[in-house]
Amino acid sequence: MSARALTAAQSGLVGCKACGLLSRPAALAFLGYCPRCGARLESRRGHSIEYTWAFIVAAAILYVPANMLPVLTTYTTGSFESDTIIAGVISLYTSGSWPLALIVLIASFMIPLGKLVALTYLLMGVQRGGVRNARERMRLFRLLDITGRWSMLDVFVDTFVVALVRFPPVMSVEPGAGVAFFMAVVVLTMLAAKSFDPRLIWDAAIDG
Amino acid sequence: MAEPTNRDLLPQATVVPPKHFRVSAIWIIPILAALVAVGIAVQRLLTEGPTVSIVFKSAEGIEAGKTFIKYKDVNIGQVTAVQLTEDYSQVEVTAKISRRAAGLMVEDAMFWIVKPRITLSGVSGLNTLLSGNYIGFVGGKSNKPQRRFVGLDVPPIVADQPGRQFVLKAKELGWLGIGSPVYYRRLQVGKVAAYDFAPDGRAVDVTVFVNAPYDRFVTTETRFWNASGLDISTTASGVDVRMESLVAVIVGGLAFDTPPDVLQTDPAPEKAVFTLFSNENAAMKAPDASMRRYVLFFNEPVGGLATGAPVTFLGLPAGEVTRVGLALDRTTANVRPRVVITFNPERLIEDASGTALEHDEQQRYALLRRLVEERGLRAQLRTGSLLTGQMFVAFNYVPNASKATIDLSQPMPELPVVASGRVDIEAKVSSILAKLDKVPVQAIASSLKKDLEALDEMLNETRTLVSNVDAQLVPQLKKDLEAMQRTLAAAERVIENADARLLGPDALAQQELRDALQEFARAARSVRVLTDYLERHPESLLRGKRDTTRGEK
Repeated sequence: MSARALTAAQSGLVGCKACGLLSRPAALAFLGYCPRCGARLESRRGHSIEYTWAFIVAAAILYVPANMLPVLTTYTTGSFESDTIIAGVISLYTSGSWPLALIVLIASFMIPLGKLVALTYLLMGVQRGGVRNARERMRLFRLLDITGRWSMLDVFVDTFVVALVRFPPVMSVEPGAGVAFFMAVVVLTMLAAKSFDPRLIWDAAIDG
Repeated sequence: MAEPTNRDLLPQATVVPPKHFRVSAIWIIPILAALVAVGIAVQRLLTEGPTVSIVFKSAEGIEAGKTFIKYKDVNIGQVTAVQLTEDYSQVEVTAKISRRAAGLMVEDAMFWIVKPRITLSGVSGLNTLLSGNYIGFVGGKSNKPQRRFVGLDVPPIVADQPGRQFVLKAKELGWLGIGSPVYYRRLQVGKVAAYDFAPDGRAVDVTVFVNAPYDRFVTTETRFWNASGLDISTTASGVDVRMESLVAVIVGGLAFDTPPDVLQTDPAPEKAVFTLFSNENAAMKAPDASMRRYVLFFNEPVGGLATGAPVTFLGLPAGEVTRVGLALDRTTANVRPRVVITFNPERLIEDASGTALEHDEQQRYALLRRLVEERGLRAQLRTGSLLTGQMFVAFNYVPNASKATIDLSQPMPELPVVASGRVDIEAKVSSILAKLDKVPVQAIASSLKKDLEALDEMLNETRTLVSNVDAQLVPQLKKDLEAMQRTLAAAERVIENADARLLGPDALAQQELRDALQEFARAARSVRVLTDYLERHPESLLRGKRDTTRGEK
């Protein structure tokens, strides 16, 4: 992974992130708009590292209540039961539906956590410079981008179940506070992935 | 260095200005997140209540994470663990109590398992058929916090209701049981909370609980009686059947009331002790403590005067004899009968217009003093029944009685007596005997002989008459008696049938009740199964019950 290609920024040029047209910037302070598609030109996304860090920290903080608070409360006549994500996984597993348990575990627990860890890893690499395996990092980043939306699975299930299971007094389901935090975690990790500028990876690779 | 190189290979000046320390507004997001998370953590910590452990004999229907502790039907905690105690003899239930209810966990708080209970006096806990058992709770009055409790086997009767407890001394428990109703004027106002032997084992102490606000009807003069079953009595006006309620007939019950003429109506204090009478009449007849007692010293034998004998005032009952004994006057070595009575004549007295006298104690005593000192009211022994020789004490005016005073400052004032008529009768009898002595017996005897002969004749005639009667009347009478016997046997059979049919274990009503309850329990169980299934397979509401043979996936 030694393809030390000349980057647009190094040659004083700028690539349009929308249509990919390479053009000369209008001025140093303000790069201008893409002559082909009209998108605003940016050499590197502004404050990318800072924004990404902020989103990661926020997501990491909210990850704790998202897993501690119940996401679903099931009311049956006279009693109710609150389940956190992990408790849901465990009860799915103990009731025998382990594939479902695995899906929920991966989608709702491991993916958000993995995203946080991966983004932190990428950010630290970018900040430290001297990146050796820029291509692997890029692959990791693409994976993050793709999987991001799938961790909303739990939220979707919650929404469906709450809307469908509504037979008081025999049975009804209410969303718990945890689901709001969980949603915030997913949105924040998606925002973090969005605000991370992958071009920084190869900048770091060149710097090293 | 000065060597000219390809311009394009030279580094371009940076477009991005050198980093200077500036905090972007984006950090508001993690700060907000941190604030929310800390806020929730703090709230959690604040609502975190104490953990208590309760020891039960068995954990019927208690599940960790599912069973709640309810106080006044409000969840105040949840069972977190159910374990055996170290010696495996009992069950230790650990529960998390919400912080708001932490103050309730005091020394004398009580826990018990609420489950369906069907007893004769009522059905309780039916809601648990659907919701599963839960742990009932009632707070205590102590201020000393406690974390370890011993659960009760049966729910306490007095579950945190306002009211008062009273202790009734009974000779025997009778039909009473825990939860038996207590009636006041045929209205249920309380329950039997507990019973136990008196410390000396000579009586049964029945603890009853009377709910507020009815507990104020229990005064120091209130009488409690056993209202179990039927009370049938025959009086001059006919047969009198009394029954508090059908429930009381089956499970026993108590009733209380205050005699209408009692003046003192201070509410009885908590845990006041009363006597439990066997029926209403006995309860109402018993003298009340507010009745002033008086002492009478008679100068004649008082044989036939028993405790409980009536004391009359001008022929009307106004009290009773409470004690009969002998008293020794130490100075003269004179032993004479001493009779203690209760005497409340003023209860009978109305003024000319018919209104009762005011119940002022001083006035009552002043009236009694005037009656005794001015009008000559005196006590006298009288024979109530010539057959049994029963005596009673009568108060009457004796116009020419010797002067007497009463000292009302004594706890038991002495009332003056006059000699009874019995002594006079004896004197009269002896004078009659003296007269008999002078009767010409000889002359009478000869005429008597003639009379006897005539009588003999008459008797013979009577004998023939009687034999006639014997021949004709007796067979008829015998037939009648046989018919009567048959009727009685039939009646006996009817009563036995009714007994078996209404009360026996195979009685129709009982059977039906049992069947209905079983049916109900079965229905509840299937609803429970349904909810359980729905809990595990909510999707079945949409897709129907899946084939169980395929197993769960």
